[in-house]
Amino acid sequence: MLVVAAIVVLASLLAWPVPRVLARATALRKAPRAALVLWQSTAVAAVLAALLAAPAAVPALIGRQVRLSEHWVVVGIAAALSAVVAARLLLSGDRVGRNLRAARRRHRDLVDLLGDARDGDHRTRVLEHTTPTAYCVPGVHRRVVLTQGTIDRLAPDELDAVLAHERAHLAARHDLVMEFFTVVHEAVPRLLRCDAALREVHLLIEVLADRAAVRGAGVLSTGRAIVAMAGGPRPAGTMAMRESTADARARIELLDAHRVAGVPVPLAAAGMYAVSVALLAAPLALFALAITELTLV
Amino acid sequence: MPSTPRNRLGDLERAVMEELWTTADAHPEGRTVREVHDAVGVERGLAYTTLMTVLDRMAKKDLVRRERDGRAWRYTAASTRAELTSESMHHTLGELAGDTRRSALLHFLDESTPEEIDELKAALAELESRQPDTGRGTV
Repeated sequence: MLVVAAIVVLASLLAWPVPRVLARATALRKAPRAALVLWQSTAVAAVLAALLAAPAAVPALIGRQVRLSEHWVVVGIAAALSAVVAARLLLSGDRVGRNLRAARRRHRDLVDLLGDARDGDHRTRVLEHTTPTAYCVPGVHRRVVLTQGTIDRLAPDELDAVLAHERAHLAARHDLVMEFFTVVHEAVPRLLRCDAALREVHLLIEVLADRAAVRGAGVLSTGRAIVAMAGGPRPAGTMAMRESTADARARIELLDAHRVAGVPVPLAAAGMYAVSVALLAAPLALFALAITELTLV
Repeated sequence: MPSTPRNRLGDLERAVMEELWTTADAHPEGRTVREVHDAVGVERGLAYTTLMTVLDRMAKKDLVRRERDGRAWRYTAASTRAELTSESMHHTLGELAGDTRRSALLHFLDESTPEEIDELKAALAELESRQPDTGRGTV
């Protein structure tokens, strides 16, 4: 019974307080890759704990000898509870994935129609618009989209930084990381969802792409590019995104964070990887403990 | 640019829209398939029926509108180039992120007040002061 309680507690912790605490642990941003791994293992461990909690309770309820003919109600309820968790995930995955791909296809068709290929590269499209904006459309037929305003406003080295940033997103398939978190986020009942967690993961992905921009164009060019893009005019009717100026600022401060004295980044990263492994192992180990010597008769 | 079928189709749609946009003032009533074919199809060695198919598909995608004119259809662009560009910019605010409120893969587009921009510039100045060399830090 203790083991069952442990799995339930674990699932609850991973679903509610852990993402909220992690989202506030801004120091982790200095090791963005390790932090993303930690986030992913938190999400996977939460899903595993939620899936395994009900089956783990079966032996505690009816003993080690399960006779399906006698205990089919308990076994059936446990299976149904796990099935609900699995179904929520699958439905969310289907919905998010389908919407994403449809929106991207529509959008790509539009930028292909409107945007000129830049320097003969059909994957980089330039839109005739004065607002400085740059983004990427991920997928098999991927695109980097720039506005003419971006090209006019940015110095060549800053533009290199922007392109390196977007291409890093595409090359490393950051969209899949984001999609995974969106699927888990939307599979969770609305009250439990943690928007701050999704925002933090998004910021970590940006920090990771900024690192690629720094490698390609240097720290200062990347910093200047972030400022230049943030200061631009906006298309009418766009939404207010208050947190993004704060994000831009955090990103600038993190550009040379690996040089900050006193923070042993490699050590912190190693610790985060170790915690990630432990997190993944916890629900599996508890489940194994719960069902040892279980026999199906 | 590699000439895949997909690209060729995209190029053709672009050329058709270009033709409809540039002739919109002179021909507000629209262009027939024959006229569009003469303008963009002939030089590409494309059959009349190819243009017919492409225009039909573009009408289904709401890129162009059409009206009956006797036995022929007359096609006009559904929106101007500027309208379509604005529309595509608005998409990026949410849809591409897979949810209507967030812009997970939209970068740099920002709602910033002058004070916030000043803050960003201060952060940049600090970054610059931390860099030993003036230019391109190699890391």
